[in-house]
Amino acid sequence: MSADPRPTDSDTTIIAQTSTRVVVPIILLVAIALLLQGHNLPGGGFIAGVLTVTGFALIYIIYGLRYVEQGLLHRTVVPRSLPAGDDESQAGPPISKEFGEIFTTGLALAAGSGLVAMAFDLPFLSQGVLFVEGLPLYGHVEFASALAFDLGVYLVVVGGLLTILAVVGAE
Amino acid sequence: MSGTVLRTVPSTIASTSAGGEASGQPQVILAVVLGLLFALGTFLVLRKDVVRVVWGVTIISQAANVYLVTMGGLRGSVPILSHGGAHGAVTDPLVQALVLTAIVIGFGTTAFALVLTYRVYEEHGTIDLSEVNER
Amino acid sequence: MQPSQGVLLAVLALPFLAAAVTPLLYRVVGERVAYFAAAVAAGAFALIASQFGTHGTVSLQWIPALDVSLALYVDGLSLLLGLIVSGVGVLIFTYSGAYMHDEPGKAKYYTTLLVFMGAMLGVAFAADLLALFVFWELTSVSSFILIGHYQDQDDSQYAARKAMFITVAGGLFMLVGFLLLYTVSGDVLGEATFRLVGTEGALIENAGAMQEGLRSAGLFVPVVVLIGIGAAAKSAQVPLHIWLPNAMEAPTPVSAFLHSATMVKAGVYLVGRFRPLLGTPEWELFFATLGLLTMTVAAILAVAADDIKELLAYSTASHLGLIIAGFGLQSVYGAETGAFHILNHALFKAALFLVAGIVAHEAGTRLLSELGGLWRALPITAAVAAIAALGMAGLPPFNGFYSKELLFEATYHAAEHAGGLWWLLPAVAVFGSIFTFLYSIRFLSLFAGEKPEAIEHVHSPPMAMLAPPVLLATLAGIVGLGGVSATAGIHLGPLEHFIERVVEAVGASEPHFGYHLPTSLTPAAGMSAITIVVGAVTYPFYGRIAAGVQRLIAIDPIRPNFYYDGLVSWLDRTTIVSGTVHTGRLRTYATWFFLAVAGLAIAGYSGAGVVFPAISSLAAEPAMVIVLAVAVVAALAVTRAPSHIAGVLTLSILGFMVAIFYILASAPDLALTQLVIETLVLVLFLLILDHLPEFYGEVDRIRALRDGAVSAVVGITVFLTVLVSTAATPGKPIAQYFIERAGVPAEHGSTLLDFGGGGNIVNVILVDFRAFDTMGEISVIAMAALSVITLIAMRERGETQ
Repeated sequence: MSADPRPTDSDTTIIAQTSTRVVVPIILLVAIALLLQGHNLPGGGFIAGVLTVTGFALIYIIYGLRYVEQGLLHRTVVPRSLPAGDDESQAGPPISKEFGEIFTTGLALAAGSGLVAMAFDLPFLSQGVLFVEGLPLYGHVEFASALAFDLGVYLVVVGGLLTILAVVGAE
Repeated sequence: MSGTVLRTVPSTIASTSAGGEASGQPQVILAVVLGLLFALGTFLVLRKDVVRVVWGVTIISQAANVYLVTMGGLRGSVPILSHGGAHGAVTDPLVQALVLTAIVIGFGTTAFALVLTYRVYEEHGTIDLSEVNER
Repeated sequence: MQPSQGVLLAVLALPFLAAAVTPLLYRVVGERVAYFAAAVAAGAFALIASQFGTHGTVSLQWIPALDVSLALYVDGLSLLLGLIVSGVGVLIFTYSGAYMHDEPGKAKYYTTLLVFMGAMLGVAFAADLLALFVFWELTSVSSFILIGHYQDQDDSQYAARKAMFITVAGGLFMLVGFLLLYTVSGDVLGEATFRLVGTEGALIENAGAMQEGLRSAGLFVPVVVLIGIGAAAKSAQVPLHIWLPNAMEAPTPVSAFLHSATMVKAGVYLVGRFRPLLGTPEWELFFATLGLLTMTVAAILAVAADDIKELLAYSTASHLGLIIAGFGLQSVYGAETGAFHILNHALFKAALFLVAGIVAHEAGTRLLSELGGLWRALPITAAVAAIAALGMAGLPPFNGFYSKELLFEATYHAAEHAGGLWWLLPAVAVFGSIFTFLYSIRFLSLFAGEKPEAIEHVHSPPMAMLAPPVLLATLAGIVGLGGVSATAGIHLGPLEHFIERVVEAVGASEPHFGYHLPTSLTPAAGMSAITIVVGAVTYPFYGRIAAGVQRLIAIDPIRPNFYYDGLVSWLDRTTIVSGTVHTGRLRTYATWFFLAVAGLAIAGYSGAGVVFPAISSLAAEPAMVIVLAVAVVAALAVTRAPSHIAGVLTLSILGFMVAIFYILASAPDLALTQLVIETLVLVLFLLILDHLPEFYGEVDRIRALRDGAVSAVVGITVFLTVLVSTAATPGKPIAQYFIERAGVPAEHGSTLLDFGGGGNIVNVILVDFRAFDTMGEISVIAMAALSVITLIAMRERGETQ
């Protein structure tokens, strides 16, 4: 439980760190697969979203928040050694702003995908499927407009839950 | 391709769960279990310790989800269809859709409740509800 | 001629849209937003004026699936109210620009005032009872905000609460009346309708049948009384008038706009609107009595007032009583009284309020006893006050004279017809009018004589504050002169014609309206003469009369306020609620909540005669039983957990068991989600617990027993509910529709719009059939995240006090 991220997370073992490196990409890949196949098979934006968040949560726990910000996002961070509240100007961990943008984008995407239907004189949020036959390599492909909406759901879930985790974790 | 493989898997799960229940037959076991879960959740909500209250709410919402799924009927196969194919009896997809969002939102509210708990502790220096009230 | 749909919708939409942009606009242009608002009101006025002469209904489909449409109706009465609202609105906004110069909360002020104007126009043009009710309550709410404009003053808050309490409660009575009308219309017209007026199946068009239907159902008098209470609360009729004097805590332009010219006219409007539907002897008795009583009582109270705004407030109630009495009386004179006095009163009373605002602003006090001799410093204001106050007094040839004359005529007519006790009507009308005369002259006297020493130099008001009352007084003067010229044969054609339309709208057939000075000694002219002579003779004793009235109203039991304050403070003090339910403890709330829900559910079952199914078999398979048993054990362990960490871990066991249950119940999506979420919940709990103290709250035996009993009740209720609901087999599950339409049909083109087009029905429901719900749900998640940010990351902000 690395609640306060330290520069070196000495309290997690090498085994944990190594297996995290292996597992997280798999988790993210599965999450994306669940998102894409969700219309026809088990999966969808909600599930894919929470799975992605678990992947990130794993990195947080094993490597600490600091690693995510510096190592993954290449960003210099103000040292958070100061007790919370001393620095009046800072409004929470900087990372939560990015996550906030994710769920804002998601909401906009979901609502926007509904507006597209209105442009075609259909009720708000009507969905359709476009079947494309005879593509090279793939052959038969279905494009469901619902995927755009599902992607919006995914982004909201990822952004919202990551915000919560990051804000809480930064304490 | 892979879809057809996957599709057969849940149907085997479904076949195992399909036994026992006749239509119009009350779900006695679930009634007992849900009654117990609700009672335990209620008991926790009435505690002084805020964390326990959060647990109680979590248990009650879990139980409510289970109840919704039970209402949809436990019999039937996984609500997944193949293209153009005929479909047999599937479990009620509507309650599942309801519960799916309920689970995720439940997490959001649990998180909110926990953060509130934390802030209560920061502001009042205690998580004893009977003391919070006095200060 | 039919009114134009586009214009009417624009009239309604314009104020609301303007209100929406006002806060933003205020940031840009500052207090000049007043002139923007005035322009909006002028636009609405012009649009309404363009509909002058039209008559009829326009309707717009709103929710076609439920057959709900927004219907607007235009006739003389709605045009009159619409023109007053928007016309006075223009003047009030202009006046506010100067008056509110140093006041706080200007953005809120203009926004609310615009919303109020829109709501009031909605009341004027609504053709349907529901829309009328919604707009009606919206005016109450905006009035609440405006009265409570000075948020840091207790008086202001008290006044706002009082006005809200009385007018909204009255509105609820009215709603019950509307619902009764709706129910009865179902029996009488074949199809229940909320449409009040304008179409073939509307209530007013079938007034005769409706009256019969109401009478046979024994609901006629209740409906009259219920609607009467709504109107009386809004229009400040005795004994519900008590909120109006307090409402004068609002900024003066608000008093002029809401509490004299427009909002209080809503009740009057309602009475006028329902007159063709419910006008009968019972109606006459109720409203004539109510109106004349209010007219007299409020006039007497006005005499006792020392604050000029309070005087005007009581006077407003009194004049509203006059209009209500007019609409109550069945003769055509009654209709003419109400119709004409709505206009006259709006003109002179709004002018007087604005004068009061100028006086208070420039002289620094509103007390009659401290004011005097202002005519030197404020000559134009004094002229305005003279025209308006003499009109209020009912002195010929000012405008109020003619409508008061009509009231005398109507009461005399009614008394002549019915005889007996009805002779009280003209007597009371004269008696009340004497007091009206007295306080009108008293108001005017603050301009006469010598200026007291205490008042320092009085500035002349800015143009923006002076122009609106001048315009109103000019109009009032023109109406008055119209009567003089009509005596000589030159009629004010358009005005008389317009009032004729209003009179027609309130239920007089083939009206012929004209007004002029009396040329012979009619009974009404005699009554006017008595009023003026007695008033003039008693005026020298004004001080003694006022003191007498003050002594009288010092007796508590005859003051309605005594009962109101008593009730409110009793509710405040009483511990019946706060001692048992409202303790501020979560435990108490939760206990009551759980017991109430369980009790209601059980009562519902026994009330509906639900038969609990016989338990023949346990109907379960081993796997599920084991999983559920583990879940229960885990929950039990959570309850008895010695530490937070142990509790959280066992809570996770419960969560994972639920996930397995979902697998067994053929819900793969749920199982996946539950598994992952359970992991996240665990992480989150552990992160938070790290910061919390080791406090576990000892459980004493008695408390545990009590809570255990509550839990047992809840558990048993749930047990029974699950038994009953799982035993039932619904005939046609909703889900069937989704199952049939979710997938991809065997034959399809290259695009698919009718069907969900996805194999995973759950997902198709989420993203297609019920996508709008999902929109709401993801908004909840975003909201939760924002709340967490607010609680933690932004906790240092905004806690400055």
